[in-house]
Amino acid sequence: MSVKQLHTLSVEDKIFKNLDGSDDWHIKGYEKRGGYKGLDKILKTAPKDIIEQLKASALRGRGGAGFPTGMKWSFMPPVEEKPNYLVVNADESEPGTCKDRDILLYDPHTLVEGIIIGCHSLGAKTCYVYVRGEYIDEADHLQKAIDEAYEAGFLGKNILKTKVDVDIHVHTGAGAYICGEETALLESLEGKKGQPRMKPPFPAGAGLYGCPTTINNVETVAQVPPILKKGVKWWTQFGRPNNHGTKIFSISGAVNKPCNVEAPMSIPLKTLIEEHAGGVIGGWDNLLAVIPGGSSTPMLSAIQADTILMDFDALREVGTGLGTAAVIVMNKETDILAVMTRISRFYKHESCGQCTPCREGVGWVWRMMERLSHGDGEIEELDQLFKVTKKVEGHTICAFADGAMWPVQGVLKHFRPLFEAEINKAKKKSKQNNTAKSA
Amino acid sequence: MSDDNQITLTINDQKVVVDKGTSIIEAAKQSGIEVPHFCYHKRLSTPANCRMCLVEIKGAPKAMPSCYTMVGQDMEVYTNSELAQNSQKGVMELMLINHPLDCPICDQAGECDLQDMAVSYGSDRTHFKEEKRAVPDKNLGPLIRTVMTRCIHCTRCIRFATEVAGVPEMCATGRGENMQVGTYVEKALESELSGNMIDLCPVGALCSKPYAFTARPWELEHTDSVDVMDGIGSNIRIFHRGGKVMRIDPVECEDINEEWISDTARFSYDGLNRSRLTTPLRRKGKSLEACGWPQAFDAIKKAAGKASKPDAIAGLAGDMFSAEDLYSFNAFMKTTLKTDNVDARTDGSTMTGKHRCKYVFNSGIKGIDKADFILIVGANPRLEAPVLNARIRKNVLSKRLQVAVVGAPCDLTYPTMHSENTAIILDQIASGEHPFAKQLEDAKNPMIIVGAAATLARKDAPQIMYRLYTIADQYRVVNKDWHGFNVLQQKPGRIAALDLAVYPEEKGKDTAGILKALADKKIELLVLYGESDIPPESLKGAKTTIFIGSHLSPYAEVADIILPAAAYTEKTALWMNTEGRAQESKKAVAPPMQAKEDWKIFRALSAEIADPLPFDTQSQLRALIVKRAPVFENLNTFVPPKWESFGLAGHILDNAFEQPVRSFYKTNEIMRASQVMTECQDLADARADVNAKQRKVG
Ligand code: SF4
Ligand code: SF4
Repeated sequence: MSVKQLHTLSVEDKIFKNLDGSDDWHIKGYEKRGGYKGLDKILKTAPKDIIEQLKASALRGRGGAGFPTGMKWSFMPPVEEKPNYLVVNADESEPGTCKDRDILLYDPHTLVEGIIIGCHSLGAKTCYVYVRGEYIDEADHLQKAIDEAYEAGFLGKNILKTKVDVDIHVHTGAGAYICGEETALLESLEGKKGQPRMKPPFPAGAGLYGCPTTINNVETVAQVPPILKKGVKWWTQFGRPNNHGTKIFSISGAVNKPCNVEAPMSIPLKTLIEEHAGGVIGGWDNLLAVIPGGSSTPMLSAIQADTILMDFDALREVGTGLGTAAVIVMNKETDILAVMTRISRFYKHESCGQCTPCREGVGWVWRMMERLSHGDGEIEELDQLFKVTKKVEGHTICAFADGAMWPVQGVLKHFRPLFEAEINKAKKKSKQNNTAKSA
Repeated sequence: MSDDNQITLTINDQKVVVDKGTSIIEAAKQSGIEVPHFCYHKRLSTPANCRMCLVEIKGAPKAMPSCYTMVGQDMEVYTNSELAQNSQKGVMELMLINHPLDCPICDQAGECDLQDMAVSYGSDRTHFKEEKRAVPDKNLGPLIRTVMTRCIHCTRCIRFATEVAGVPEMCATGRGENMQVGTYVEKALESELSGNMIDLCPVGALCSKPYAFTARPWELEHTDSVDVMDGIGSNIRIFHRGGKVMRIDPVECEDINEEWISDTARFSYDGLNRSRLTTPLRRKGKSLEACGWPQAFDAIKKAAGKASKPDAIAGLAGDMFSAEDLYSFNAFMKTTLKTDNVDARTDGSTMTGKHRCKYVFNSGIKGIDKADFILIVGANPRLEAPVLNARIRKNVLSKRLQVAVVGAPCDLTYPTMHSENTAIILDQIASGEHPFAKQLEDAKNPMIIVGAAATLARKDAPQIMYRLYTIADQYRVVNKDWHGFNVLQQKPGRIAALDLAVYPEEKGKDTAGILKALADKKIELLVLYGESDIPPESLKGAKTTIFIGSHLSPYAEVADIILPAAAYTEKTALWMNTEGRAQESKKAVAPPMQAKEDWKIFRALSAEIADPLPFDTQSQLRALIVKRAPVFENLNTFVPPKWESFGLAGHILDNAFEQPVRSFYKTNEIMRASQVMTECQDLADARADVNAKQRKVG
């Protein structure tokens, strides 16, 4: 199969045409850019057919896990006694990730249109959008967009005379990273403490208030309308099989032009950084490592970064993941031990605390990182640290703890000599001090 | 042979057959394999958060929590494989890094799950070099002492408060390693069952406050017995040392108390050592002075000899007595003193022991699990039988049992429908006008729970009972397979008193008659056996008054002679619980100093006054009891009595039902003597005041 390796998208092919905020984000601007066109036709399409198209498109969730969206939507049971719900996860909190923020700020109607179609496809009449607490302007724009859509007749009862009813409620979080985990989000939405639930039951069976619920990331939902309007063929021209489509990459760190950019999937990482983010500060040869998909994905070494393609499967093959596609670039001036210690502290702060290994382990790991990155400790403790991460990983209710351990495992794997150097340096210094004192 | 509801699997290569829907941890337990765990508890929901019970399941990508994972056909489970053991060891190490390991000063030491598990499944060293966490303690009131640094965040206490006790006051605030278990607002828990959290807490984070630092578990002896602080007869274990009760814990009994007990059962024991009568006393002018048993007996003999006729003698018994106590008292009054003026129904009830079905909990407490609609009449099960109320709550939450109340307003911790508080609602139900009638009709297993305290002492009790009989009959509350007519007795001795006819059997005076005769100065010798609901002022007037009891009570002021008797922990005796199930309490400690077991007192006294009563030993006494009431023969078994008609036709009064329990922590002399219970009652009263004020403002 010939894969057209696109590196940039034409304005036409972009889903988020106003991602940079240069145009009007209100409904007028969105309609000018082609939004809501053909919505009535889609709302007249049977949900079954929509889901089939999504399956054919191989759209995979953009929130981190990369689960096929069509398949996810097909799990929803037909509406019986209880209502079905669509919940949009806009609790974007993974360090490095800021794509949903720009969608909400500059192109909120892409999400609203996606929700309308999503609700129709899932048999839901109500959608909740759970927006990260810190996203104040973002929630405001989204709410305004929703109000505009109501006014224009795209929301409410009998939308465009298609007998489809959709209501959207915006709910803001209170600043907990863990509420981005879908079941913790549901708990929080229900007014409880945001803690992940044990599965099963899965949300499609018993989700929000015990009703069938589908939870999707903002970007995923917003990508549905163009796929249906422009067709599967258009969509699958981007990216390798099973990884098709376009994707917003959030590129930050040691690059000349940090940005959010929508690019085709399977784009080489090097191209992404060089063409879209102005290249690594100090040149490609100055690259130290790259975190490819948000802070919880294990990092890539400079050598790996040279050739890797940015998609789900390619990154999985090398033991990391596409995650939220938040690319964090570190060059040789970066104090990588400090960066990883900081990330470790973040996870220590954000564990919900219900599982023993996570509650106790992330704090222990952070404290060891803090010490060892300053050379305070013994070389053997590096092995110890690795063992602790293994005691935590795979032993908890949700994947948070795994995500908190991987970066540490990654830095131990790739940069152990840096720790050792720090430890030796500290040892030497204290020896000198001691001799100085005794002299 | 394959059964659709059975699953075959292997655990550690051992073949196991269990019911579908069993968790792996339970399946393992059934086949004698222990899986370490902390958060899992079979009577609470399963959050799977301690992660201690991880096991290997062949084919699963990682270790799975055995509490949450259900068995599957042909599953291969390993609880001791390398993967499982490494998981358990790892979790154990993480569990301990922030645990203070202050076992030498911890009350839980010696019976601590964490200690046990750490020895069996942990490692003998830690690699933790950082500083340990310290957590401020919480004030949960006079019953529970907290040392929250020891908390391992299993959330059992939170789940118990929310799910079983129905007081969602416990919570975990903060997240990650800063998560703290406590109450949302710092205050004493408003639950009658809070002490159970002490048992549930696997570590020493929640311990008994009254018991704190008084004993080590390995110094204690224990005796399994029966609680008498309410009428359900919860099974308990009495821990004692050197003749003193040190602690009371529940014993699991599926039929009665599951594994809970009320706070009154658990914490009133300090009342056993306070205000006790320890020697016979004799009145000398205004004061009472100690005397020997012979002197006391002599005085009683004289008083009895002086009585002009049997009708000038009367006896009243309280509600804290066992079958032995009541039988011997009854025999002493009726045979030795030859009077029929005897009554143990001091609340004024006139119900007799005829038709047992009208005064017991016919469905059995376990029957609640089958009911789908309960009509509560004049009862407040939360205060009259907290453990039974928790059982109702469990069923309300799990299978939509509906509960309707005709009676004084009450918060039963679960949703209820309340009618107007007047007894004539029963007429409307009987005639089908009231909406509750329809619910009774629609229910498959309808149940009626009648509160004895607020109903049976009313003037119109016979008419109410008649109406209830009609309702029960008409709405199939009693049918071939279901006996849903229940009377809830708060008083632990009342059913035995009815079974043994401790009331006038011929022409004698009942409580009202005796009180009237007293007021008319027609009683010459009055025997008061234990405290009762009657205020001491109304008991004045007899020439000689004898008080026999375990505690110094307000009755002492009217008494001329006082004899010290035994409390429930000091006698092996038969008790009839509200179901009409006979259970045996065991003597854990001896009665204090000169005090004696009650039946021995009556037996000895009878020999002083006339012919000795016909029993020399407790087994002879038991034989007489069984002869009189065969229901005492089979211990621990529950046999529903025959359904027969009862009550009297006639008008029901348009009166409200009264609150059956006014002071929950002060319902008998032991609780009244208890300092701990006093503190609880003071708190409850203060709370009630605040609530009343708020209602006024609101
Ligand atoms: S792994 Fe951590 S964040 Fe996830 S449920 Fe357990 S304690 Fe909470
Ligand atoms: S206080 Fe005890 S029961 Fe409650 S969460 Fe902590 S360890 Fe568990």
